[in-house]
Amino acid sequence: MNELQRIANYFTSNLDRIIGYTLEHLILIVIAIIFSVALWVSIGIALRNHKNMANGVLGVGSFIMSVPSIALYGILISIPGLGLSRQSAVVGLVLYSMLPILRNVYVALNEVDKNILEAAKGMGMSEGQILRKVQLPLALPVILAGVRVATVMMVGIATLAVYIGERNLGVLIEQGLKRSRSDMIIVGALLVTVFVVIIDFFIGWLEKTIISKGIQSDDPSLPGGDL
Amino acid sequence: MIKIEEVVKKYPGMERPAVNKLDLNIEEGEICTFVGPSGCGKTTTLKMINRIIEPSGGKIYVNGENVLDQNPNELRKKIGYVIQKTGLFPHYSVFDNIAIVPRLLGWDEERIEKRVVELLGLMNLDPDENRDKFPKALSGGQSQRVGVARAMAADPPVMLMDEPFGAVDPITRNQLQNEFLKLQKKVNKTICFVTHDIDEAIKMGDKIAIMDEGKLVQFDTPENILFAPKNVFVQEFVGSDRSLKVLNLLRVTKVMRKNIKRVKEKIEIDEIKKYFTHPEKNRILIESDEQEVVGYVAKEDITKDATIKDWNKAIKLFPSSLNEHNTLKDAMSDMLQHNIAALPVLSKDNKFMGIVTFADIRSYIGEAYEEYDQEENEVL
Repeated sequence: MNELQRIANYFTSNLDRIIGYTLEHLILIVIAIIFSVALWVSIGIALRNHKNMANGVLGVGSFIMSVPSIALYGILISIPGLGLSRQSAVVGLVLYSMLPILRNVYVALNEVDKNILEAAKGMGMSEGQILRKVQLPLALPVILAGVRVATVMMVGIATLAVYIGERNLGVLIEQGLKRSRSDMIIVGALLVTVFVVIIDFFIGWLEKTIISKGIQSDDPSLPGGDL
Repeated sequence: MIKIEEVVKKYPGMERPAVNKLDLNIEEGEICTFVGPSGCGKTTTLKMINRIIEPSGGKIYVNGENVLDQNPNELRKKIGYVIQKTGLFPHYSVFDNIAIVPRLLGWDEERIEKRVVELLGLMNLDPDENRDKFPKALSGGQSQRVGVARAMAADPPVMLMDEPFGAVDPITRNQLQNEFLKLQKKVNKTICFVTHDIDEAIKMGDKIAIMDEGKLVQFDTPENILFAPKNVFVQEFVGSDRSLKVLNLLRVTKVMRKNIKRVKEKIEIDEIKKYFTHPEKNRILIESDEQEVVGYVAKEDITKDATIKDWNKAIKLFPSSLNEHNTLKDAMSDMLQHNIAALPVLSKDNKFMGIVTFADIRSYIGEAYEEYDQEENEVL
């Protein structure tokens, strides 16, 4: 039996388990991304006019990103209330997405053309209206780019959450390593890659759908356009 | 309509106030242009009217109400605002951009639709072709037209324009200026118009406010500013060619002579000869039976040949003609170009209205300066 046949064999004979792992992976990512976007976009909005505070918070984000994932999970499970649970897995992922999402939200909101903001103010729009109708729609391409980076990263890091009790595609890799089963590792890795490609595609579709045609780049290979 | 009283704007850390005790009164339906060197406070003044910049002191009344007593957002919805870089929302279509203020005011969509289409028409933009375009697909001139349409959407009585035509090429600028003046005749808004270009200020303004270092130096009609600059600063700011600028301001109808002897093509030569016996008469105008100007005849061409019969052959055509909307500058330019000392002014249907001569322009301008000088002396 050659390697390729072994991989295919493993895949077909364990299909049920693999589907189960994939679903678990998906559920974890979806929960984490919902929390991440809600949290970091809100904080980005709150910080948009506070440069010094934003720099401090973004510094924390950079620091978190530099902590090895396994170590971060280790710390999280020692916190009472989190422990060996899905909560810990989600919190870890949300923390890792802090830098890419928050930084993009903050930068994008601050890079909206001052002339456009002045015109909006001059027409009698309130600060809330300016945020909702002008700043956020114009910042959307950059914000979505941050979400895309964060999501791709999360799919990979989520595999490590098997060490704190998650049963997702990471199981295939972890077990494969333990048992020196290259077929398991390759199936796990391939599925993670396919996962990333699908998510990337989905966010690309989202960009085309919710970003105004007026600021989408004419070049189809680039997401969004200039601000 | 707009009354500015003792308005001051002082920025912290700056010794001289950006605007220093400014008093100004702009009448309804007037365009007041604000002009002066960079940092003179013209833009600051404009932006205090809709409170983009908050005054440090003084009062500003728009339509009898102090703007400082009003909610700034409600105030701004009643004042049209046009800025140099247009500030169009790039993620909104042309239609949605123009509809911004009406939507903020809660108009129903049917009324908005009607208004936007009307405005696009007024701005010489084909509504069907342009309404769904995004700003990135518009040229500079088109963007600025949409910017003006957006400011006028809710029909505000007052408009503030901050160098609205500053970012477009000179040809487009001239076109936009002319269109806007034509439009203003229809809509009759009260307009504050900031520019750094004295020619634009003269062309667009019913009144000009010349500012320097936060103070109003002279506030007057373009003619008065050109004929009687208040001090050396205004004189220099207006430029050493101010007499030429006056030419651009005055229409040919101001100096045109209406009662000029004209003869028909078919009259006898003797009648013309008789006319030329007068020592001061050197030219005579010839017109057709339909009162259209044909040309003119010069004295020397008639008198040098005593036996001349077919005098019509001596008729010279005018190389150019003027209409009543032409300025004295247009007239002078044509005269210099064609080396001729007089040109006829014709109505739309080519009928004779009058004649403008080089000498008349010269004496008109000269006399005007003398008059202003005398007034000044009387005051002293």
